[in-house]
Formats: sequence, C-alpha cells, structure tokens
Amino acid sequence: MTADFNAMSDDEFRTMIRDFVETEYPGMPRFSLERLHWDEVKPWYMKLSQRGFLCPTWPVEHGGMNLEPGKHLIMVEELERFGAARVHDIGPVMLGPLLLKHGTEAQKAHFLPRILSGQDIWAQGYSEPGAGSDLAAVRCEAVQEGDEWVINGQKTWTTLGMDANWIFILVRTDKSVKKQAGISFLLVPMDAPGVTTRNIENLAGEAEFCEVFFDDVRVPLDHIVGGVNEGWAVAKALLGHERVFIGAPRLSAAALSRLEHLARHAGIWDTPIFRDRFVLLQCDVLDLGDLFQTYLDKLQDGAAIGADVAMLKIFQSELYQRISELSMQIAGPDSGLAQPPHDDRRLHAAATYLSARPITIFGGSTEILRNVLSKAVLGLPN
Amino acid sequence: MDDWTENSRMIVDSARAIVPADGNLVRVRDLRGKDAGFDRQMVARAGELGLFLMRVPEEAGGLGLGMRETCELMQVLGAGLVPEPIGSTIMAGALLGAAFPQDAASGDTVMVTAWQDSASSLHFDGVFGAGALTGEKIAVEGAAGADFFAVLTAEGVAIVPRDRAGLTISTAATLDGGQLARLHLKDLQAEMIPCPQAAAVVQDASLAHSAYLLGLSDRAFQITLDYMKVREQFGRLIGSFQALQHRATEMKIQLELLRATVMATAARFDTGAEAAHRARDADRCKLRAAETAMLIAREAVQMHGAMGITDESEIGLYVRKAMTVANLFGAPPAVRARLATTLEAVT
Repeated sequence: MTADFNAMSDDEFRTMIRDFVETEYPGMPRFSLERLHWDEVKPWYMKLSQRGFLCPTWPVEHGGMNLEPGKHLIMVEELERFGAARVHDIGPVMLGPLLLKHGTEAQKAHFLPRILSGQDIWAQGYSEPGAGSDLAAVRCEAVQEGDEWVINGQKTWTTLGMDANWIFILVRTDKSVKKQAGISFLLVPMDAPGVTTRNIENLAGEAEFCEVFFDDVRVPLDHIVGGVNEGWAVAKALLGHERVFIGAPRLSAAALSRLEHLARHAGIWDTPIFRDRFVLLQCDVLDLGDLFQTYLDKLQDGAAIGADVAMLKIFQSELYQRISELSMQIAGPDSGLAQPPHDDRRLHAAATYLSARPITIFGGSTEILRNVLSKAVLGLPN
Repeated sequence: MDDWTENSRMIVDSARAIVPADGNLVRVRDLRGKDAGFDRQMVARAGELGLFLMRVPEEAGGLGLGMRETCELMQVLGAGLVPEPIGSTIMAGALLGAAFPQDAASGDTVMVTAWQDSASSLHFDGVFGAGALTGEKIAVEGAAGADFFAVLTAEGVAIVPRDRAGLTISTAATLDGGQLARLHLKDLQAEMIPCPQAAAVVQDASLAHSAYLLGLSDRAFQITLDYMKVREQFGRLIGSFQALQHRATEMKIQLELLRATVMATAARFDTGAEAAHRARDADRCKLRAAETAMLIAREAVQMHGAMGITDESEIGLYVRKAMTVANLFGAPPAVRARLATTLEAVT
C-alpha cells in the first residue's frame, strides 16, 4: 500500500485510479452539483481511506500518498470524470497540511490518524457576520483562563458544519494590536459545552452552511496551532496544490459538456447563433487550460507560486458563470425548475447556475482578488 | 531540452539591432506615411541577422528554428511596433524552402507573402491553370515596398516580381502609417513551386502574428500601467482608484491567457501536433490575440484620458497599429466559423 505512486507512469497511475473508482464507488449519487452530507458520503470517504487515497498530498509516513502535482491532478481528473462525490475534505485538504506545517508533534500524532479514519470530520471557522472578505476583522474572542482558552463569539458560512465534530477557528486574542497581529488559530470540538449551530438554507434549498455560536466554550491551552497571536500567518499559509487546482479548467469543461447536452436536447446545437457562442466558451476553456498548465509546470519544478495565481481563480470562476448563464438561456422555461427535467441532471441548468454563484465569493471574492492583483502583481498604488 | 530558450535569447538579442531595448519609437513615428511605410535598410539588417531564414529547414540552407523562437522574436517586433514586414518574409521563406532566393533571405530585395483569397474566407486557393495565375490576393503586408511576392495557391507557391505583366497592385493607406495591398492577378505567367507544407505554414504565420499582437499588447499595457502610477487627479494617483485597478487586472488576465496560449501552442507545433489540433490552436490564439490587442488598446486610450486621443502620445501608436493588424490572418467571424468545425472534430 506504500507504493511509490510518483514512480508509476502517468498512464499506469491513471488506470489504477480509474479502476479503483469504477469498482469501489458505492451506490450513491454521481455528478452531484450539491454537496452531499456525511451520512450519504461516508461510504466513499471510508473506501478512499481504506485504500490510502484520502490524503493524496500528505507524506507517506503520515498515511498520505506524497503525490507530486502532476499525479495529483490525474487523480482529481479521474475522480471527477467518474462523477465521484466530493467528500468532507476540510481535514484532508486544509487542516492536515496545516498541522503538518505548523502543528506540534503531539497534535500531528493525535489528529492526523483521526482524519484518516473518518473519526474526526472537520469544519472551517473563519468567516463571521462582520468578517467575510475582511477576514482579519474577526471578533470571536478567546481569553486565557488558567490552563484553558475561553471562547465567545460567532462563526458563519461554515460549510457542512452540521456534519463536523471538530472545527478550527480564527479568534481574537489581542485587541490592542493591528488586527492581523492579534489573531490565533484554535481547535475546538463541536460537542464542547457552549457550542451550538444553526443551519443556513441556500438558494438551492440545501443546508450546506451553518452558523456556529460559542458561549463560554473552554478548550485546553494546547489546542492552539502556531503561537499565540500567530493565527493569521498560520491561516494564510500556502495550501499547496489547491491554490493552483482551484483554477483548473475541468469544472468549466464539465459545465460546457452539460451545456452541449442541453443544447442538443433543445434542438439548437446546430444553429450558428448558438454555436458561435459555444465556440467562444470552448476557446476560453482551452486557453485557460494553457494558462493552468504554466502553473502546474511551476508546481512540478518546485518553483514558488506567487500572488498572480489568483488570475486563474478569477478567470475560471467567471468562465464557469458565463457558461451557467448561457445554460439558463438555453433551458428557456425550464430554467427555474427545482428538480432536473426528465430526471436528467445534465439538463438541470438551474443547478449549474446556482453552483456558479458561491465560487466568486468564497476562497477570496473576485473583487478582493482583483485588489490583491492590483497591488501585489501590478504594483498599483494605494 | 532547453535549446530553444538559448536560441530565443540569441534571436531576441540580435533583434535589438532593429528594436531599441529602451522602447524608443522615434524611428517608427518618423516612418509613418513615408513611401512604403517601412525602411528597406532595416529589412537588410534583419536579413543580415538571418531572421528570414529562421523557418527555412536546415537541409534547405536555413536555420530550421522552431515556432517558440519565432514567437519570441515576433513579440519583440510587436512591442517595438516594427513596421517592416518581417513576419511576411519569414513566411515566404517557410513556403519556398530551398527555392527561397538568396537576395530575399539577405534582405537585399524585399519579398512578402500574398496568401489570402478574401476577407470572408481563410482560403489560399487562388486560381492557377495552364501556367497562368488569375484572381486576387488580399491583405498583403508591405506590398507597397516589396520587390517580389510569394503568391500561394492550392497548387503551390509562385515567385512574382512586382513588375510582372498581369499583376496590378492596389494599395490603401493604413492608420499605422503604412499601406495594405490587394494583388490583382490576370493571366500572369508563373512557375508554380509545389508546397505540401502550405497549410502548416499559414498556421505558423498566423501564430507568429498572434505573437506580434501579444508583444504589442504587453507593451501597450505596460505603458498604461506606468501612466497610472504617475498621473494625478483629485490629488491622487489615478492608479489608486479601484475602478481602474480592477479593469487593469482584467487586462492583465487576458494578456497572460494570451501569452500562455501562444507559447503553449508554439511548443506543441515544435513537438509535432496533429493537423486537426494545429488548425484549432492557431485559430484560438488568433482570436484571443485580436481580442486582447483591441481590448488593451481601448482601455489604454480611456485610462490616458484626453492624452490618449492625441497623436503625440505614444499609446496612440499602439492603438493605430492594433486597429491595423488585429484582424489580419482571419477576421474573427471567419475564424470562429472555422473553429466551429475544427473544435467538433477534435473534442
């Protein structure tokens, strides 16, 4: 099970992943544009875990695959080609790499195996009602009392927080300094006394997010990652391949293939007026692929990824939105259907449209990313 | 493995003999509207540097360099708004191979390519029969000062001197201070040299032209960005205004997409891309290049304010050049119509 995956040829590796997902994927939804909840997705999470495929970027000694970027991308491509559901990946993708970088040996030894085993499902508690794009404005507060942190405040937009048994949060631990300098990174069990949640229904009618409230919640001092008041640096630390992968063309390519299906169904595929617009979107997807590849090459070469990588996310997310907008037009009167027409998910333009909304908001809104590009890449003045 | 980067560095360095490294545009500005709109001595300089032999195979006496090197060169020429029809002569060399005349290669005579039949199509069929050429070739760059034309048809390529009976040339002044020409061929006696690589050469030349537009766009964007960092209004640098910043990031994104697409396509061409992919990729580069050049030209004018609509501003030279050359190698509607076919064949 500790094969050197990077030594395999790309084709061998691709075939291995393809065989795995085709034979092991449990009888559960494929190609879902909505996130599945833990009770639905758990069988697949466990299959990935048992095969050692849950945490592709972690080192082998910690139960990962130590995949280089090229192989990692192949894996992502194959899982998405099959339409495998996205598992609860905050632990594998965010907290795991973060602990590997900033955690103590005790934290790694305790928490990493519990992510791998599915014992701990993590949620991310960054945003607050008054701290969305302006993340450093967090007000949720932690005060040291004896050998405990006492936490009071609120987090929101916590994706699948209702399924999690742990949450990592950014908290204010010093109000007297510049806002970024007074933040710490804490680990909190969701079943601690004083933690309550309230679901938020989204436009699709799904409860993907929740609010999380902290009332005198107490956690031991060693539940901090990084030092006191070092939380901003910890949270901003590189998330490895993900910063690049978020700009991959595959989501847009998949949406484009659904649009083709929709247009054929609507009988307008061969009309020049549709095809001309489709051609431009196809070109955008291919061109994005070429830009994406330049970043993948940098990752492979071990070169630093700069702030300019945000260009990928901006273009990818806006492209996906443009495809979703044309899909709605082609769907015509079906554009407002709550369920897929003819039981065919690929015809459900509304699902594509709604899934296109959060991608320009979360993980750095387009407007914030453009601010960052203006300053850090173009050198424009304040 | 990185042969091409070393070659490119040498080519780009040598191109500095034509394009000042400091971006000085006095020569370009002075040439506008004079004679053919370009300088024959500069063509000879380019010939001395071997630029016209870049795409002639080594076995035919050329340099046999790749499209990556060519695209690096074309970016430099575009950034410097070079008016000499260097790309067109490189294309003639690639079409003619061993038949490319020595004095055209050296730049002692000026040879440009005439390939396109009509603005609405991307064909180069021409009409050739019984040893004679009849028909039209449009959008010929540098024709006003050319000594020879490499005329491409479905049957091959002919070398036609400008004074050959049966050839009339109609030229029209262009906004960049040059001339664009149409060749009218009537029962023109010519020897047809077979050119099995014609389609590939047209794709190469289209890609090279996209690289010229990339260089042009890149420099126009840089000039605009520099202006945003010095121009003050309301007591603030205009580059500090968020509305302008966000538009600048959009230009940057389009520019980087174009750069990635052009250079990735060049690399694919150099490493043996399939014919269907070649056609598709050259076309999508061309679409994005034209779109980006025009976007940046428009935005550059707006961000320069009233200065942007004066002839004395540097940015105006870029705007005029973009308007003149963005739609060469295929008007966007024709390119898009062809892409509808090639994209379906590939995907």
